[in-house]
Amino acid sequence: MENIELLLQGFAVLFTFQNILATILGAVLGLIIGAMPGIGSLAGVALLLPLTYKFNPTTAIIMLGSLYYANMYGGAFSAILLNIPGDSPAVMTSLDGYPMATVKKRPGQALLTSNLSSFIGGLIGMIILTFTGPALANVGLKFGPAEMTALLLVAMTSIGWLVGENPTRGVLLTMFVIMLASMGMDTLSGSPRYDFGSIYLLGGIPFTPFVIGIVGFAQVIKLMEDRNIQTKAAAEKLTIRGSMITRHDFRRLLPPALRSGFLGTFVGVLPGAGATTAAFLGYATQKSFKSEEPLGTGAIEGIAACEAANNGAAAGAFAPLLALGIPGSGTGAVLLGGLMMWGLNPGPLLFVNEPDFAWGLIASLFLANLITLAIAWGVIPFLIKILSVPTKLLIPCITVVCIVGSYSTSNSMYGVLVMFLSGILGYVMQKSRYATPPVLLAFVLAPLLESNMRKAFIISRGSLNIFFAKPISLVLMIALFAILLFPVVRPALVKAGLIKIKEPKS
Amino acid sequence: MTNTERKTSGFGINQIIPIVAAVMSIAFIWLGLNKYGFWHSAKGPMPGFFPVVISVAMLFASILAFVFSFKEEAPVFPVANWLVPLSVACIIGATFLIGLIPSVAVYVLVWLKAYEKCTWKTTLITFAAIMAVVIGCFVLWLGVPFPKGLIYNALFS
Amino acid sequence: MKKFLSLTALALVLGTVSPLFAEGAAESSSAAFAPSKDIEWIVTSSPGGGSDIYTRVITDIMTKGNLSGGQTFLVTNKTDGGGEVGRLMVSRVAAGKAADHTLLTFNSGDLMPMVKNTANRLENFTPLALMAVDKQLLFIGEMSKYKTFAEVIDAIKAGGNAVIAGSKGDDVATYELLIKELGFTENQLAFITNDATSAAITSILGGHVDLVLSKPAAADQYVAAGKLTPVLALSKTRFTGNLASAPRLSEIGNYKDVEYPVWRGIVGPKSMSPAAAKYWSDAFKAVSDSATWQKDYIGKYKLLADFMPYEAAKTFMAEFEAGYLKSIGK
Repeated sequence: MENIELLLQGFAVLFTFQNILATILGAVLGLIIGAMPGIGSLAGVALLLPLTYKFNPTTAIIMLGSLYYANMYGGAFSAILLNIPGDSPAVMTSLDGYPMATVKKRPGQALLTSNLSSFIGGLIGMIILTFTGPALANVGLKFGPAEMTALLLVAMTSIGWLVGENPTRGVLLTMFVIMLASMGMDTLSGSPRYDFGSIYLLGGIPFTPFVIGIVGFAQVIKLMEDRNIQTKAAAEKLTIRGSMITRHDFRRLLPPALRSGFLGTFVGVLPGAGATTAAFLGYATQKSFKSEEPLGTGAIEGIAACEAANNGAAAGAFAPLLALGIPGSGTGAVLLGGLMMWGLNPGPLLFVNEPDFAWGLIASLFLANLITLAIAWGVIPFLIKILSVPTKLLIPCITVVCIVGSYSTSNSMYGVLVMFLSGILGYVMQKSRYATPPVLLAFVLAPLLESNMRKAFIISRGSLNIFFAKPISLVLMIALFAILLFPVVRPALVKAGLIKIKEPKS
Repeated sequence: MTNTERKTSGFGINQIIPIVAAVMSIAFIWLGLNKYGFWHSAKGPMPGFFPVVISVAMLFASILAFVFSFKEEAPVFPVANWLVPLSVACIIGATFLIGLIPSVAVYVLVWLKAYEKCTWKTTLITFAAIMAVVIGCFVLWLGVPFPKGLIYNALFS
Repeated sequence: MKKFLSLTALALVLGTVSPLFAEGAAESSSAAFAPSKDIEWIVTSSPGGGSDIYTRVITDIMTKGNLSGGQTFLVTNKTDGGGEVGRLMVSRVAAGKAADHTLLTFNSGDLMPMVKNTANRLENFTPLALMAVDKQLLFIGEMSKYKTFAEVIDAIKAGGNAVIAGSKGDDVATYELLIKELGFTENQLAFITNDATSAAITSILGGHVDLVLSKPAAADQYVAAGKLTPVLALSKTRFTGNLASAPRLSEIGNYKDVEYPVWRGIVGPKSMSPAAAKYWSDAFKAVSDSATWQKDYIGKYKLLADFMPYEAAKTFMAEFEAGYLKSIGK
């Protein structure tokens, strides 16, 4: 298999002392940046790009790749330990990660699950990338506006699973957030929308400070209630051995991780969809499968599903980036810029003209995956110490990080203001029992859905045909109707004996 | 868990949220239909289409939520919690005068010593730790240009 | 005696005071500006993007070539409000040292949304230089049902339609000029605005649209790989290299050539002093003349080097703004 040979050649390029050092350095930096709330992978890669200038192109690219990749690992750390996701793909991880760390008192295991799942997801992504890179990218191309609309509609239905006990309120909040997301510049018409005359709102509400606020800062406000509770000895088992997962745990995390790894890789290839969408879809898919503990209460399956998906997507995103020169996301665009600055041109000719570099990069991703896993694992005892810091000390510290992080996203106090307001909003909503998890998905997916839908209609001249004419889109639309009609049709099917009702456990 | 003193809402936050949401949806619907356009015969959905559809859904949801809200108990908002947003508001204000990093530093010190009444040792250690993270990571390494405040700019520019 | 003393005193006083006046006169006529503190350079888009790279290449060349008087450039990305906040901030910088040490990357793609969506205008800035010019082409993909642009025109006239994918900003303006010249409506030849050209190229590679509008840089490697074929040069002269096969509009039919100026420049705040403006303009000329610029930026990104110093840049940008304002009915 030619690709394996090329990959091995890539490893040969990689295994110089300098390159390995660069991979390690990139991994460490990426972990740190990823863990910081506020600096997502986009800002992280952009800010760390200048560091790579000192090295020669191959080394620099390798460092950049491992940095981007390690970011995905790091995001889970603060999500699990503090319920403050380090970046948006980690939001879903906190849903099960934080309860597992605090309620179930298994922080080490939670972190290790996250690391292992990230590793598995990433590995799957890279293997797929190696063997089918360009072909995979071509499949991604087939997803045009109509197909993406159908896919996103299916994804939106799964938000229903996340609204929790009070659907009316969940829907209200989700809709509210979608409206917030529609404020700003409307690309398709070139005019601003709902900016109410404010020059800041011309650019809309920035995503990262919004996330930090509604999830992170809201959490800090809530922590005030816990500050006088003595942290019971979570301090036992601070060793690496103490955070080992049992064989049973491992068997639990493997199926979700494998499934999500494939799913995530595929989602990463799609235009416009990124790690966040992948993490969400991974989690939503897991809902249809059996989890030993219910999702959202600290189930290993929940962590595994998200983390594998988001690392898979990070790897998958390299397919269109390298093979077609198309960045699937903002972070990809920065990577692309960095690569071009080094005189390397991702695109159809890359594998032909610069095979050394291309395969060296892919090989470095494998190595980065391994090294990041090792470092992340080793760092766990140190991270757990954070949990034993008294809450009352944590509150001002996390507040500071939220503020500084929000400022850094756009170098302006506007970010801090957004974080502040959305934090209060998130806190009030949580207290009034409005479920917040769907919020972030809505903020990300709704604009994507809208722009794809409008583009599809421009192509079809206002006719609905386009959604049913093309095969991929047709399949997805059928799936959509099936999902929507299922609750209605289910009683009839039960009566007909086609579905058995599970007896509720007493 | 019977607590006879717990409020079942007369008129509290449970009612305010749906009302605010309803008002917002009406505003968005009005703007969407009048200013941004709904549907174009050849281009399909206009900028107003999607927001209007969402706003209509939200209007329904808020009416429903309002109706149901009278049956539910009002949430409790401990006063102490509001100290955190208040501090952030102060920090934002102080930033204009003395800059972001100094404001944040002052906040940590004041909060730990005056509010939490920690010992000097705890205060200073925590302070050192968090400032090391902020300055080391954000200022020195990432080089983020934090606002320096009016006073600094007046003195040094 | 008294008279003599007072005359001497007067002479002494005048003697000590007059150099001050002489200095003053000399200063206003030959005061050379030299940067004396850190220079703040604002970029209104995110790191890694086209404008960001452009700025950093220039600051790099200037720092290495000692064109900034040994002072450091502080490149800051201010993306709030789609960049409008950053532009507004620069326009309002107070006169004095601050104004002379503030620079803003300013392109045609920045000016258009600024005058369309805000009250800010070119007159609030001091144009310093025009560094490069870009043009566009229309391309077809491997799966397009049209093989030449003439076919597109014929098909539309016969009642059909086509869709062009492009990026926001300059591309939209070029498209509008094109359909006006062709006499088509938006329905006959539709345009899909994407956030970036890469997204537009994705859609044509997947066969979802008929044509893509792009600048040479973004399309170059796809043309080399055979995935895109240029079919129309939106320019008054044909392109070179692998884009030479694309005809101009006038060659296809009885039309005038369509060309929309896409430019990259640099401006300063309105209150920047003339001496500083001249200094920066000269410095940027040196950048433009340098081999590094020609090779590492112009050549690499396939732009057209077209330097204009500050006076010429001002006239050019003002004309551009007036033309654009008229086209959107303001």
